Amino acid sequence: MTLLDVVNLHTHFISRDIDNQVRTAKALNGVSFSLASGRILGIVGETGAGKSLTAQSIIGLLRPPARIVGGSITFEGRELTTMPDAELNKIRGEEIAMVVQNPRTSLDPLTRVGDQLVRLHQVHRGGPKEASHKRAIEMMEAVGIPDPKSRARSWPHELSGGMAQRVLLAMALMNAPKLLIADEPTTGLDVTVQAQILDLLRDLVARFNMATMIITHDLGVVAHFCDEIAVMFGGCIVESGPVRDVFAAPAHPYTRKLVAATPERFRMGSAKSLSGQPPDLYNLPDGCVLQSRCAHATDLCKTPVPNIEVAASHFSLCHYAGKLDANPAGQVQA
Amino acid sequence: MIQPVLKIKGLTKRFPLGAGRVVNAVNDVDLTIFPGETLGMVGESGSGKSTLGRVILRLLEPSDGSIEFNGQDITHLPIGQVRPLRRDMQMVFQDPWSALNPRMRIRDLIAEPIKLHMKMSRSERDDRTEDLARRVNLGSAYLNRNPANLSGGQLQRACIARAIATDPKLIVLDEPTSSLDLSVRAGILELLAEIREETKAAMLFISHDLGTVRMISDRIAVLYLGEVVEQGNTEALFETPAHPYTQALLSAHLPADPSIKVSRHVLEGEVPSPIALPLGCKFHTRCPVAIDRCAREVPQVIQVSTGQHARCLRIPDGGNIIARIDQT
Amino acid sequence: MAKTTPTYPTQTQPFSARQRVSNRLIGLFRISPTAVIGLLIILFFGVLALFSPWIMPHDPVSSYTDRVLQAPSAEHWFGTDGNGMDVFSRVIYGAKYGFGIAIPAVLLSLIIGVPVGLIAGYRGGLLDEVLMRFFDGLRVFPSIILALAVVAATGQSLLNVVLVLGVLDSPVFARVVRAEVLALRSSNFVESAVAAGNPTWRILFVHLLPNAIQGAMAQTAVRAAWAVRISATLAFLGVGVQAPTPEWGAMIRQGAEFMVSGQWWVALYPGLALICMVFGLNLFGDGLQDLMDPRRRAAK
Repeated sequence: MTLLDVVNLHTHFISRDIDNQVRTAKALNGVSFSLASGRILGIVGETGAGKSLTAQSIIGLLRPPARIVGGSITFEGRELTTMPDAELNKIRGEEIAMVVQNPRTSLDPLTRVGDQLVRLHQVHRGGPKEASHKRAIEMMEAVGIPDPKSRARSWPHELSGGMAQRVLLAMALMNAPKLLIADEPTTGLDVTVQAQILDLLRDLVARFNMATMIITHDLGVVAHFCDEIAVMFGGCIVESGPVRDVFAAPAHPYTRKLVAATPERFRMGSAKSLSGQPPDLYNLPDGCVLQSRCAHATDLCKTPVPNIEVAASHFSLCHYAGKLDANPAGQVQA
Repeated sequence: MIQPVLKIKGLTKRFPLGAGRVVNAVNDVDLTIFPGETLGMVGESGSGKSTLGRVILRLLEPSDGSIEFNGQDITHLPIGQVRPLRRDMQMVFQDPWSALNPRMRIRDLIAEPIKLHMKMSRSERDDRTEDLARRVNLGSAYLNRNPANLSGGQLQRACIARAIATDPKLIVLDEPTSSLDLSVRAGILELLAEIREETKAAMLFISHDLGTVRMISDRIAVLYLGEVVEQGNTEALFETPAHPYTQALLSAHLPADPSIKVSRHVLEGEVPSPIALPLGCKFHTRCPVAIDRCAREVPQVIQVSTGQHARCLRIPDGGNIIARIDQT
Repeated sequence: MAKTTPTYPTQTQPFSARQRVSNRLIGLFRISPTAVIGLLIILFFGVLALFSPWIMPHDPVSSYTDRVLQAPSAEHWFGTDGNGMDVFSRVIYGAKYGFGIAIPAVLLSLIIGVPVGLIAGYRGGLLDEVLMRFFDGLRVFPSIILALAVVAATGQSLLNVVLVLGVLDSPVFARVVRAEVLALRSSNFVESAVAAGNPTWRILFVHLLPNAIQGAMAQTAVRAAWAVRISATLAFLGVGVQAPTPEWGAMIRQGAEFMVSGQWWVALYPGLALICMVFGLNLFGDGLQDLMDPRRRAAK
């Protein structure tokens, strides 16, 4: 059952510069995807591709000059883009929960950890404080925090990175969310701790049947923890589909390059064609966002790009999707 | 007998915190790097790898031990005499955005080491700067810009150009690709490999990412709580890691290929604080194969195979290998 | 209920020079109205100072002995003073002194304060303590008293006034620069500069200075306002400037005697001019912080 449906989302940054001219950065350009309960979606992309912005747009945390200027986001059939803030507040923190990067800075430094969990529960569910406290301890146990009763009395600055991330996860789970958005949940954590957190996440998803969106730039995380993948560039989803299919047979030039640059496949000497300038969101070209740095680009790429289904549920935003190997204009990467 | 570019013995760095408490960042480290060689240094937080890199370059003062650079003992050299040596030992930092003075032009930043250490006229310097920019694949249009106008990858290229400007014998790289996007990393690594080929400079490549380190290093040293727990040739280390921590580290690394099976040793608990180091073997608190002896005895360095050394009490009895648990 | 994607009007012709200037002014105004207003006031007085020979209807130091203490009239817009000199022309000419004293004084403060702030902030330790205590001591002194004492000892001249003000105000700049250096000295680019082999003086002046000077720059306008005010006060007390120099402070002093007898114009107009100039400088200095801070958000 589809829980979240994002259709043709456009988010722009609209501001005036020092010469009083209106400048628009088109940060999200027609992002569409859907997510069902119990499924884990991994969103990957470069800095500035729009991954975090997508999450913020969904949960309604955009601040001026960023604004949603088009498209729709439906959660359980309810439209989120036009929902008044009061209603959105009820959904945020309860049905949709978000865990962000830099766990230590996300916690209120002046309140004990356990109290923050209780506070979150009270705001949404009310009821007697003891019940909230009990649930807080339950959740801390669920995320693998040792000795939760005494840990609940810790201050945020006393926690290590991994522990703080677990606390944030516990917070996210307090109100049994249906959708969990995790923005770079393991970046900055040690590899050995990362392994613990990811195992934990997968366990929780299975137990609570949550839909989960993981935003990351680590392809390894996506390869082993996600069911579906969406690759973003320049505010568009350039390729999406089941993880196995996309890794085995990437259908978009950008995905191919990304996969070819990973340590498992990289061969010295092939990096020359890999990177280029990040797209100028203030001056996006007509047609495909990747024109200027794609080896397969032709004049056709200056026209609006279709989203082609190259295999079951596997989409590629490219004029030549599915036909890349036959394209004489480009060099083909393995 | 080729002389090593860098030879450190028993290097230790302690940071006093007052009230008798001390952060033991680096503990008794021995390392040698030869010309043209890249030594990868891997460790997680608290391993002391960044501190070690800085102590080697005398950006931090060593508490104990010795540093020999090109045959010269520089451990206690006065800073005034260390400065001219910097011509031959340079550093590339992790975060290219903050490693370059935001108010200077790229051109001046790259040329600075030349200005400081080499006697060249302004036009010779300019020529060399442009050469360097070409060398690192940085368009000359960017030379006259400020760091704010360049992307991460371009900035790091500029940093590399700055580091090789005086043809140094040793380059220390502290997580040079960790802040960069995936698509950019490979290009930077390739550039470094090329430079190493051409200049035969020795490199110390510090990183927390095993995948990256594997791509560029000839030998690897694994650090845990300021100590080298294992050292060896790259492939040997990856094929047959001896130390339990190395094994855990390797298994925790997620390959970007869903078809590769991952068997994980998920370590219990967190890294102990460097203020209160565990007694005996520093890793024993999290080690899945630790025995009673490990809490009392500090393991000495044992040779595991040619060129591979590790510190573990269980190597002689074969108990250092952690059984792999296969995961679907 | 999806919204339609908006299209944005594109600029078809390039802007003319006049449009560019007005665009820039409006843009700056949106960011900081105070800065723009302050700047306009300062520019106004700057024009007065520069173009006074062409604006003044009368010679500021020639006295019309037949028209002493005349009320404002068509001939003398601000009336005449006790020596029969035209107040209006004198007020215009006096703008020169405002700038003539403030600018060199602030420059001197910068020249003394900035290097001290750099060294104290970077080195820290005993040197820092000693320098800062000394500067604190300087600030504790009431400036007027100190200025009076110095000028009494060294002699009445404009130069001495400038020197005193310059020295007295340097602690402010030293403090501000020191604060920035404290924050910057552990940053990566400084470490990179050390690693490259820079000697300390280069670290201070080539690397730290351009980055640490922001706060000091923002202070200049405010301290200039202080300098103008203090120099006027000193002149009012009879220090530094001799009659019949048309300096506003001196003019106020002269006019003070006549306030009681009803000739208000002699003191009022120079007083107003002084207030306006100081106000403009303060506004600009205040708004400058906003302008330099790259956080401009204005959603349409």
